[in-house]
Amino acid sequence: MSDTAPSQLTTLFDNSTLNQIERMRLKPNRRLTNRARGEHLSGKGGSSTDFADFRDYVAGDDLRYVDWNIFARLRRPYIKQFQHEEEMHVVLLVDASTSMLFADKMLRAKQLAAAFGIMGLQNVERVSAYAIHARQDQPWMLPPGAGRTRIRKLLKFLEGIEGGGNIPIEKAIETMLRFHRGRGVAIIISDFLTFGDVSRPLNLLYSAGLEVWGLQVLAESEIHPNVQGDLRFVDSETQETLDITNASELLNVYQDQRIWLQNALHSMCRSRQGRFMSVSSGMTLPTILFEHLCRQGWILR
Amino acid sequence: MKLPGFVNLFGAWFLLALIPLIILYFLKLRRPKMEVPSLALWQSVVNDQRVNSPFQKFRRNLLLLLQILLLCLLVLALMQPFFQADAEVAEYKPLLIDCSASMSATDEFTGKTRLELVKERVRAQIDNLTGDQRISLFAFSNTGRRLTEFSNDRRALLKALEALQATDMPGQLDDVLRMAAAYTRTFPIKTVTILTDGNLPDQVDFELPFSLDVQRVDAGGPNVGITEMSARRSGPEEWEVFVRVSASSVDLRGAELQLWEDGEQRESHQVEVSNEESERLVFPVTARQTKPLEARLVPAGFDSLAVDNRVWLTLPAARPLKVWVSPKLASWRHAVRVQPNLDLEESETAEPRGAEYDLLIIDEDGAGSAEAPVQLFVGVVPSDLQELIKVEEDVSSVVDWNRTAPMLRHVQLADVQIGEQPRLAVGAATKDLEERGYEVLIDGNAGPLMLQRREGLSVSYWFTFHTDRSTLPYRVGFPIIAANVVEAALKQASLSEVVAAATGVLPPISVDANRSYTIRTPDGETLSAEANVAGTLDGIAASRVGRYDVMDGSNIVTSIGTGLLSGTETSLKPVEELRFSELTVATDEAKQLDSDKPFWWFLALLAFGVLMFEWWYFQRARGVMV
Repeated sequence: MSDTAPSQLTTLFDNSTLNQIERMRLKPNRRLTNRARGEHLSGKGGSSTDFADFRDYVAGDDLRYVDWNIFARLRRPYIKQFQHEEEMHVVLLVDASTSMLFADKMLRAKQLAAAFGIMGLQNVERVSAYAIHARQDQPWMLPPGAGRTRIRKLLKFLEGIEGGGNIPIEKAIETMLRFHRGRGVAIIISDFLTFGDVSRPLNLLYSAGLEVWGLQVLAESEIHPNVQGDLRFVDSETQETLDITNASELLNVYQDQRIWLQNALHSMCRSRQGRFMSVSSGMTLPTILFEHLCRQGWILR
Repeated sequence: MKLPGFVNLFGAWFLLALIPLIILYFLKLRRPKMEVPSLALWQSVVNDQRVNSPFQKFRRNLLLLLQILLLCLLVLALMQPFFQADAEVAEYKPLLIDCSASMSATDEFTGKTRLELVKERVRAQIDNLTGDQRISLFAFSNTGRRLTEFSNDRRALLKALEALQATDMPGQLDDVLRMAAAYTRTFPIKTVTILTDGNLPDQVDFELPFSLDVQRVDAGGPNVGITEMSARRSGPEEWEVFVRVSASSVDLRGAELQLWEDGEQRESHQVEVSNEESERLVFPVTARQTKPLEARLVPAGFDSLAVDNRVWLTLPAARPLKVWVSPKLASWRHAVRVQPNLDLEESETAEPRGAEYDLLIIDEDGAGSAEAPVQLFVGVVPSDLQELIKVEEDVSSVVDWNRTAPMLRHVQLADVQIGEQPRLAVGAATKDLEERGYEVLIDGNAGPLMLQRREGLSVSYWFTFHTDRSTLPYRVGFPIIAANVVEAALKQASLSEVVAAATGVLPPISVDANRSYTIRTPDGETLSAEANVAGTLDGIAASRVGRYDVMDGSNIVTSIGTGLLSGTETSLKPVEELRFSELTVATDEAKQLDSDKPFWWFLALLAFGVLMFEWWYFQRARGVMV
């Protein structure tokens, strides 16, 4: 955990980072919003006071929106459009299975989830959070809510996740969708190390009107494992074993498989109008947020 | 190509060690556990086709395979494999090593003797000896001797081999082959190997009971040597000394022949000889007293063999032949008297006055106590043949005679009439006479007419009929017989001809009877010998060229020099074929001594290499384990 001082708002990051995060907002590829009014700009014309654009008049349009000044000059009716701000639902899925307890993966996942959540709440989006773990004594869901007052609840929820268990990510997504209502962005923060098929839950998310953002957090030892000799690997979640002979000879194949998995996940997310990025838990949060995610266009400063 | 054989087949049982090895390998595979977040990626790695390729599978079990290979190599080495020689595998191998004088011939360029080359081959054979093989070493020159029993004890065999030295005697195969043949009754000997330079008599009187493998080393360099030395009396005190010098090379080679007398060089001659053109030189020498001579040859260039460059010859003191003829044998007296250099005792008494003569011609009255190395009995049947030969009053004639006997040389006996008839007793045969040491020189129609008997240095001739009762004294052959008997006496007394002694056995030496003497050899060794009743030292081995001093205490009684005196050895000429009674065996120079070649050491070396590779492969630095 971070060595944040007790005066800090959260133990996940310090206040200066929090201030920077509060000035940022999410930038989804698609404008999947709820009808409820919010601060997220809809692609459709709205009824706000901010002018957006003109368009040709078609029969049935409300005559109140006809720009008469232009009609007087051009003798053709144009409809005046205003920006429409709708509420977007931000769903945070934090993988808290045992595999995430290695190195700083869990901490980095919680920090990222907190950052995304704060960005959403600061911009009057509805934010809900789900933790994927098998601990009965810990909360696993933060119901949707909006408003800056939810920030403290969100942080408390995230700070309380300790993780454990072996619930696969695909099963957790299906469970989450049973409770979720609303369109927006689903941000899945996980290591995506699963034996199951991820494409189905991604389809379900897409069908549910959620833009899928996959953020893979891997430990440095997973990205560049340094192993040699004959080893017996033990799965931290299932306790299953796998005998590896002369592991150092297989590292090239391992890297190929890891990159293949990243590419596959990236492809799955892109094909669903989503995004995917793999980061190392060894990276600091500001580095991930302000360099990688900003540069990739995930968030706006 | 023959499959390799194994000396220790029981070593294959150690292959059972593969079972515990494999068990231990899998027990050893208690891999260190390492917890990973998820096996998902590693499972994909294991399922990857590349990891499951045959090569990768091989690499996965490389350690086990290397250990199995290592064990197999060690077990194979333990089984002592060997490549079988092309020759038939023989468990008992007699190796007959030529140690004749020509084997000490050196090569002009390498300086190695023939015997050293043979030793190298035999040493390799001994080193490659496999467990069930036994070698017996024999050495031969003019006779054979066994150096070792059949043994696979390398140390004993090598020790015997290293102690082997070339002798100064010519080579003869007969004895050693008979010796080897005697072993075929005890051991299953299939092949006998002869290692020689091929300088052997090409005719061998022996029936081979085994196959013979004759392997020869190349001949030595050019050689010049003395092959003959003898002297013939040319006057009362004059001698003609003959020396023959021969060479081995085709080209003429020069040498200086020196004649030494009492340690002083008397004469010298330059000679030029080749293998087809020997030179015979004559040196006139006057000798009133006993005179030792030595012929030395000083070759102009390289000389391969040194032992044939010195020969000794002792000329006896000049004196007339001392003869006594029984007074009743007037015909013989007349016939003998005309011979030169003769001291015929003129007396009418029945017995000789002296005790020692060179020749006694005796009738039935005998010669009393007088002794001579040559005795001719006329009309006398030897006392030990009295029961076998009876002389009857009848006429007999000569049926056949030994024309090559020195006594009957140039004698015609065909028409001789004899008034007596020596007859063999009923049931007696010539074989019975031979068993008693007699040789029949003249056969009559009923029995032997003339006998010869050699006893030590003396020889006796017996006319079983009285010559005066035959027509023999009237025949031309009679004075010839008288001359022959005088010549025999002269030779026996060394008064007409002396021949240099060759190595092998010293000629009989006349000394005091029943006394012990010491013989000092050219090597400085001393031998003890006992003179027999007749006062003769005989049967003394002389394997080295040089002077042999016969000593009575510290006094030198007499000296005899021996030389190689073998044209065959000096010629260094190898025979291409050895002709046996019914078989001819080729001698092969290119053929090497074929032996089984063990290669357990190669397998052991390979195992060590595998061990090193395994150590390197699994211990090389690979960074830090997570």
